[in-house]
Parts: sequence; structure tokens; C-alpha cells
Amino acid sequence: MAVSNTQVIFDNLYGIFTYLAIIVGVIVFALMAYLIIRYRAKNSSSDPEDTPRLGRIPTSRGHGRNVLITVTLSTFLLAILIITSFAAVDTLFPNNPPNATWCYSIAAYNQTQATGQSCPRLDVTGHQFYWVFTYPGARSYTNFFRVPVNTTVVLDVTSADVFHDFGIIQFKIKTDAIKGRTNTIWFIPYKTANYTIQCFELCGTGHVGMIATLNVMNVTAFQNWYGSEK
Amino acid sequence: MSQLSRIGTVVKSDPMSQDIFPPRVKRWLFTTNHKEVGILYLVTSLFFFVAAGLLALTMRTQLSVPNNNVLTETLYNQFVTVHGLLMIFWVLSPFAFGFANYILPLQIGARDLAFPRLNAMSYWFYLFSGVAIIMSFIFGAPDLGWTLYSPQTAFQFTPTIGLNVGAAALILITVSITMSSVNFLVTMFKMRAPGMKLRNMPVFPWAILVTIFMMLYAFPSFLAAVLLLYVDRAFGTFYFSSIQGGALLWDNVFWFFGHPEVYIVLFPAIGVIADVIPTFTRRPLYGSKYVIGSMIAAAVISFIVWGHHMFVTGIGLTSTKLYTVTTIAVSLPFDVMVIAMIETLIKARIKLKAAALFALGAIALFVIGGITGVYLASVALDHALRGTYFVVAHFHYIMVGASIMGLIAGLYYWFPKLTGRMYNETVAKIHFVVSFIGFNILYFPMFLLLDMPRRIQTYAPDTGWGPLNSLATIGGFIFGGAQVLLFLNLFLSQRRGPPSGPNPWDGWTLEWSLPSPVPAHDFDTIPSIAEDGTYRFGNGPGYPNGLAHIDDSKVGNGLAYSHLEGMSPWPLVMAFAAFLFFLGLSIGQPSSPTPVSYKPFWPLIADGTILGVISLYGYSRERFSVHEESHVESWPFREVPNVKLGIWTFLGAEVIFFGVLIGAYFFVRTNSATWPAVGELFSIRNGFAMTLVLLTSSLTAIMALASAKIGSRNGLIAGLLATFGLGASFLYIKATEWIELGTHGVFLVASGLPATSYFITTGTHGVHVVAGMCMTVYLLANTLKGRYTKGDHDAIEHFGLYWHFVDIVWVFLFPLFYLI
Repeated sequence: MAVSNTQVIFDNLYGIFTYLAIIVGVIVFALMAYLIIRYRAKNSSSDPEDTPRLGRIPTSRGHGRNVLITVTLSTFLLAILIITSFAAVDTLFPNNPPNATWCYSIAAYNQTQATGQSCPRLDVTGHQFYWVFTYPGARSYTNFFRVPVNTTVVLDVTSADVFHDFGIIQFKIKTDAIKGRTNTIWFIPYKTANYTIQCFELCGTGHVGMIATLNVMNVTAFQNWYGSEK
Repeated sequence: MSQLSRIGTVVKSDPMSQDIFPPRVKRWLFTTNHKEVGILYLVTSLFFFVAAGLLALTMRTQLSVPNNNVLTETLYNQFVTVHGLLMIFWVLSPFAFGFANYILPLQIGARDLAFPRLNAMSYWFYLFSGVAIIMSFIFGAPDLGWTLYSPQTAFQFTPTIGLNVGAAALILITVSITMSSVNFLVTMFKMRAPGMKLRNMPVFPWAILVTIFMMLYAFPSFLAAVLLLYVDRAFGTFYFSSIQGGALLWDNVFWFFGHPEVYIVLFPAIGVIADVIPTFTRRPLYGSKYVIGSMIAAAVISFIVWGHHMFVTGIGLTSTKLYTVTTIAVSLPFDVMVIAMIETLIKARIKLKAAALFALGAIALFVIGGITGVYLASVALDHALRGTYFVVAHFHYIMVGASIMGLIAGLYYWFPKLTGRMYNETVAKIHFVVSFIGFNILYFPMFLLLDMPRRIQTYAPDTGWGPLNSLATIGGFIFGGAQVLLFLNLFLSQRRGPPSGPNPWDGWTLEWSLPSPVPAHDFDTIPSIAEDGTYRFGNGPGYPNGLAHIDDSKVGNGLAYSHLEGMSPWPLVMAFAAFLFFLGLSIGQPSSPTPVSYKPFWPLIADGTILGVISLYGYSRERFSVHEESHVESWPFREVPNVKLGIWTFLGAEVIFFGVLIGAYFFVRTNSATWPAVGELFSIRNGFAMTLVLLTSSLTAIMALASAKIGSRNGLIAGLLATFGLGASFLYIKATEWIELGTHGVFLVASGLPATSYFITTGTHGVHVVAGMCMTVYLLANTLKGRYTKGDHDAIEHFGLYWHFVDIVWVFLFPLFYLI
């Protein structure tokens, strides 16, 4: 079911979080349920010795030791989450994205491939209420774009007007599209198919229809399409 | 009788408040009593709860199936926005502050809040702000989400004046909240019963105290942000629509407020839960000092986590990692709180009354909300989850699951205290079960909708989101329907329920020592806490079981203890004046020929101003004395009178306010490629002259105070006149400078960020100078009547504090605008 490298990284990390969440949740809820049933008031039982009573401040109780144990255990769990998150984010959103390779199949970029340089990044611009995708040479398309499978694609995302958010739903990546700023995301698609792009920040009446399609093609099909349109 | 004057007594008879309205109406309109105000808060917040809930149910109906068309997209977006705003500002906090008003003074053994009239004014500002936000539907309600992201708030993208009305509502409620924070802070630091040391306070007052500190430092940031937004729309400036400021400036100032705000609406509920659990488990709260310490820690950390709302704005890998760590770290103090509540259950004797059920249920839901919050704290996961229903599910588990459920626990817990009657326990338990099940059917499916964008009006069938949405909608109607049980139960019970007696739950906090409902004057004599922790009620004998002694002959119709004591019409009138003023500022015509801004509606502004001046006059003329008890606990502010502490607190909030304005200036300046050189636009000489004039006026203010202290009336008059004159000179130089810059024609308020930031920042400061000058006029008038020179010079001193603050702000503005 792997559709892109980003989706695989997300699923793994989400799995770790959920695994721990279920363990912690089950322990906490089991403990609560047990205590509530075990210590439910019965008619025969009488109040504990230290029951707070009207007329005096109750004696304070509680061990710092227990708090310390709780905090230490939690810190340990949270440290795992922080470390795994950092590892994921270093790959997903590095300061310098990897070389783009989507153009290597195109004849005009033979030299780029030979020298191992990066292909140009694609520009994505959010407008009220559509997406414009621009390839080198100012070839631009509204609400859809195409890339070859198993290559690296780097996108520079910005906005022409208000605050949008560019998300490729199945790839589990998104970034804000903000006028005056450029945010970069990258991915390697693993499967030829159509994927849904949607705006994730309420941007006005029309936001609901701000949907685009990413068409991941096999390399030959992409070559033909890219070459046929000038 | 002197001890009763705390309640506040209007000695002078006022025709307006005596003749027109019958006592029953007067009691609610003109009250300054904390208990009446508390009930007003509760009832009003529940009204808004129903309103916002109905908006939510309509949205759930729209979303129940794909391609649905119950609501148009515009209407849906308006509902999304107003639902969020209402719930956060007009429901959660005011609900909690209803309890804080009624219960908190009793719990710390005070007879009222420090400033009863100010408290009434907070309420009326709250009510009218709520009227404004609902009214915004008439003018096209805000439709861009409660977060009001820029630049969509700019006039060119949102020309409807409904957004102005919404912004006006937000300004009014911020004023209300700031007044409340000052009031509660002074009350809690200065009016605790003897022996009620901070460490003896129950957790609920502690939670409110921590909440107030967060409010005091978060809301000024919000006020500054909304003010700049207002200016952008009214004058066509570009703080938030330029690419130099714009989206990220708004994000920063909004979320600097926004994250603490989450804890502001959460902590009071945790305080309620921490009061309810010990009562119904019959054991003291486990590790209560660790719970309180954790709250303080979480409050502090809440101010350094706002970046996690900006993970995908492109603020850089290092920043996002830092915010991941701080945000994940903030879960540790919450761990401690939850564990402490659970450990309290060990060896307890748990009575599962409705209040206890809601408290325990709230903890369980809080655990789910907290754990899923850790997901969102991770920058890596947030790249996928941002803006999806996963986020919606998470924060509803916190805000509805923990906050609303916790506050409903409080409603059942204190209902007998508020009304003197018991509710129907069986119906209440059914209410809990149905609510809890309905809640989870409503919100849990949303965790699974982690691909679905939030705030969309509809979705296509092939997304596969239909079934989970249908399920959530069913849950929504179960949860919403359950609340009918709550309202019916409480409404019928407050009329016909069996009498509750003073302490139906066998609680330990001081409010249970009083009759239910609590008599107007609260305590006959203020209580005290002995060294061994036992309560004492003055010299009179307390009843057995820790009940306070109440002289029955004085309860009820006795004039001295009547609910009609301490009435003032002015809080209501002043709030209404402010409402008119801001409404006038908000509704008007777009300016022509190029509609980049709109023209305000001047007649309403004039009405509001006139009414405001009248009510200020009435307010200050009214003889409303609040007697300060001696021998109360006031660590660490023993030597500071109430009003002075109030002013210090207020100035603390002002520091944040100006800090944000100056911060915004820095932000746009560092993001701008070019900026006018030093001396190019402003004459340094002018700036220097203004600095000199203002600093001298600080000196004359000190002289005025010194003269008042030694009883020299002439010296005082001279000092005040000189201060007024210097203030006027400052404004004169400022005005000539403004006119000069304006006549060049190239440097108008809307001619670019250097101009905007200059005019707005120094303009706001100028308004503060004008306010100070008005104070000197008021002080002069009273001086001529012979006041302030007979040892009653407090007012001069308070004015001095304010004036020095205004001068200090200029000391910062001068170099920032003129010299660098």
C-alpha cells in the first residue's frame, strides 16, 4: 500500500505513537475502572480516617517520590517520541531538500542527469480558489500536474493572495502557502495513480472546491506527455 | 455595621435606579453583588452554549452525508467561525467565571470581590460583546475561522462589515476579561480570610489564580492584534496584508495568545474537578501541592509553545524542533495532575453522584485528548495532521470533554449552594451516561478522519469519509439531546426541588458553611483559619459541624442584608455606551472610490461617547465605598492597598500590549528590504523635544504628589496644571509633526509600513497621554473642592503611577522610531 516515501515515514511514526498511546491509555483506563469499582462506596463501609470535613483544612498528603516516578516514566516515553519524530522530520523536511530527479527521463535534461545535478523545482501557487503548477519554461497547469513514478519531486509552494495550505492527502504531507514566502516540500511517489490535493486552510467561499489532482505516471507516459506539450 | 460596608453601599439615592424598575428587575440589572453577577454569568454563558451548540448541530447535519446542501458554503463558513468564537470566548471562560464569581470569594472567606462595580461592568461588557457577535450575522458574520488568519481579514478579501462587528465584539470581551483579571487578582491577593494562606486555598481558587495570570499576559497580545486588524480595515493600512508583516505576524501574535488561551479555558475545569473528586471520594486530593505546582509550570510553558501552531508555515527546522520539545514537555505537568486525581481514588469511598461521574468522565476524556495532543506536538506528524479532523477531535476532547464536562460537574456540585434545592439525581445520572456515550460517538470517529480537511462545507462521496461523518452526526444529536435533560432538570429543580440544606455533599470548603442559597452579605463576620487548620467565625459561636453562624433575623427582608444593597446603574450604562461606540465604529459604508477601507457610522459613535461621559461622571460621583478589612491574609502584598495593586496589575497588562505593538513594528521592519533612514522622515529635534517635555511632566507629577502629601493645595494645583500643560505641549508637538508629515502627502497612515507603524504606535501612545490628561482634569476639579490634601492623596499617587508608565513607554518609542 506504499504510495510514497513520505507516506511510509508517516505511517511508521504514527504507528509508534499509536502503539504507545494504546499501552498508556489501556493502563490508565484499567486502573481508573479498577479503582472506581474496588473503592465504590458501600452502605456498610465508613468514611476513611482522613476524610476532609467542613470546619478544617484537610491534611495534605502525597509523596514527591510518586510524582518523580511518574514524571521519569513519562519523560522516557516522550523522549522516544521526540527522537523518532526528529529522525522523521530530518528526512521529510530537511533544510536543503534532496536533488530533484523527475526530469532525468527527459532528453533536454540529459546533462543534468549525467552530472547528477538537481532538476528544477516545480512551482505551486495557491489562488482563491485554484492551484497553479508551473514547470520550467513557464509551462503552467491549473488544478493538476504530472510527475514520473519513483523519482524525486521538489515543490516550491507559495500563494498569490490569502493564506492557503497545500496538502497531498495520500502522501501525508502539507505545507502552508503564504504570499511573500516560499515553502519547500519533496516526495518520491511509489505508485502510478491519481492523488488528491486539497487546500487545508479556510480561504473563503470557494475553499471547499480548491481541489487539484496529482497524476503519477510511468516514465514513458510522462516522457510522451511532457514532450508532446510545448 | 462597618463590617458590612464591604458589600458596597450607595448612600445617595438615585432616581434612575429607584423609580423606573421594580426591585425584581433592579436586583439583576444594577447588582454589584458577586453572587448575582455569578448567576448572571452562568445563565448567560449557558445561553451562548445552546446557541453555539445549535450552530454545531446544523454543521453536523450538513456534513452527515457527502455532497449535502443544507447550508450554503458561505453560511457554513460563518457557522464554523461564530461557533468557534462563541464557544471559546463566550462560553468556556464565562461559564467558569460564573463559579469563580459566586464561589471563589466564599472559598477564600471574602465578602465580595475587591471592586464590585468593576465586576458588574465586566459582566455587562461580556453580555454586550456577546450581543455584538450574534448581531454580526445581520452584517455578514465573519466567515474565515475563529483564528482569523490574515491576509484574508484585509478589506479587499473580506469586505463585509460583519467582520468589523466581530472584531468589535472581541475588543469588548477582551476589555471585560482584563477588568475581571485585575479584580480577581486583587481579591485573591488582598482579601483572603485571616489564616487562609495561599497554601490553604482549595485547588479551585488556585486554578482561577493561575488562569488569571495567563489571561493578564495573553489577552493584551490579542487586544493589540485585533486593534491592528481593526486599524487595517478602518484606515486601509497594511499590517496584516503586506508581505512584510502579513500572515506570519498575525500567526505569531495570535498564537502567542492562542495557546495560553487553551489552558485559560481548561484550568478552571481542572480546579472544579479537583474540588469535586475529594468530596465524593471522601479523601483529600493526593499531592495537591504538586497539582498546583504543575498548573503553574504548565502556565509558564504555555507561553513558549505557540510555534507548534506554525509548524508548516516554514519557520525553519531548528525552530520547529524546539517547539516540538517544549510542546511535548508541557504534557509532563498534565501527567502529574491526572495521576494525582487517580491516586486520590486509592482506599477511597467513592460516591458516584452526578458531579463525581462528570468529574471522572472529564478526566478520562482529558487523557484521550492529552495523548492525541502529543501526536500534534510532533512536527513530523503535524505535517500530515495539520488542518484535519484529527485536530478537531483532539481539541474537542479537551474543550468539551475536559472543560465542559468538568464545568458541568461543577454545575451539579454547586447547584444546591446556588439555589438551595436539590436536582433530580437519577435524571442527572442518565444525563451523564447519554452525554458520555454521545460524546464519544461524536468525536472519536473524527480521529479516524485524519485525511479530511476541517472547515469544509462538504466532500465528495469517493473520499470514503461519509460513514464516519454520519456516525459523528448521530453522536452529535445524542450529545446535544442529552443536554435537554440537564436544562430541564436544573430548571424544574430550582423551583420544586427538595431543600438541600447548607452542606448536602459533606464538603469541606468554606462555601458549604453558609446557608443555601447564600445570604446577600455572605458571612456575618468574616471567618478565620486557626493555626491547626480549624475554621473560626468571628467571636460569635459557629454552629456544630463547621457551619457559619448566621443571624436569622438579618437574613431575608432586613434592609442591611438585602439583595438590593450596593446597586449601581453605571456599570450597565457604561457597557452599553462602549457597545454603541464600537458598533458605530464598525458599521458604515465602504469608502470610495477604491474600497480599501470603510467609513464609520458617526451618529452611533457620538451617542456612545456622550453616554460614556455621562456614565463616567455618574460612576465617579456615586458614593460607593468598599471598606477594606484589616487583618486579612495578603501575602506577598501586605503593604499595598487594593487599588494600587489593581493599577500595578493593569500596567503589567499594558506592558504586554505595548510590547506587542513594538514587536509588530520590529517584525515588519526586519522583514522590509528598505526603510527610511534616520532623520529622513522625523526630525530628531522634535522627538527630543517631546521626550524632554514628557520627562519633565513626570517630575511635575511627582511634585503634585509631594504637595498633596504635605497638604499644600496650591502646590498640588500647580503640579497638576503643569503636568496637564506639559502633556498638552507634547500633544501639540506631536500634532504639528503629524500634520507636517501628512501635508507632504507621501507619508500618510496608509502609505506604507514605516508610516503605518509610526502613526499607530505613537497614536496609541498619544491616546494614553490624552487619557492621562483627562485624569488630571478630574483630579484638579476635586482638588478645587478641597480633596487630596488631607492625607487622602491615594488618587494622586495612582495617577502618578499611570503617568510615569506612559512616559516610560515614550522613552522606548523615541529611540525606536527617531534614532534607529
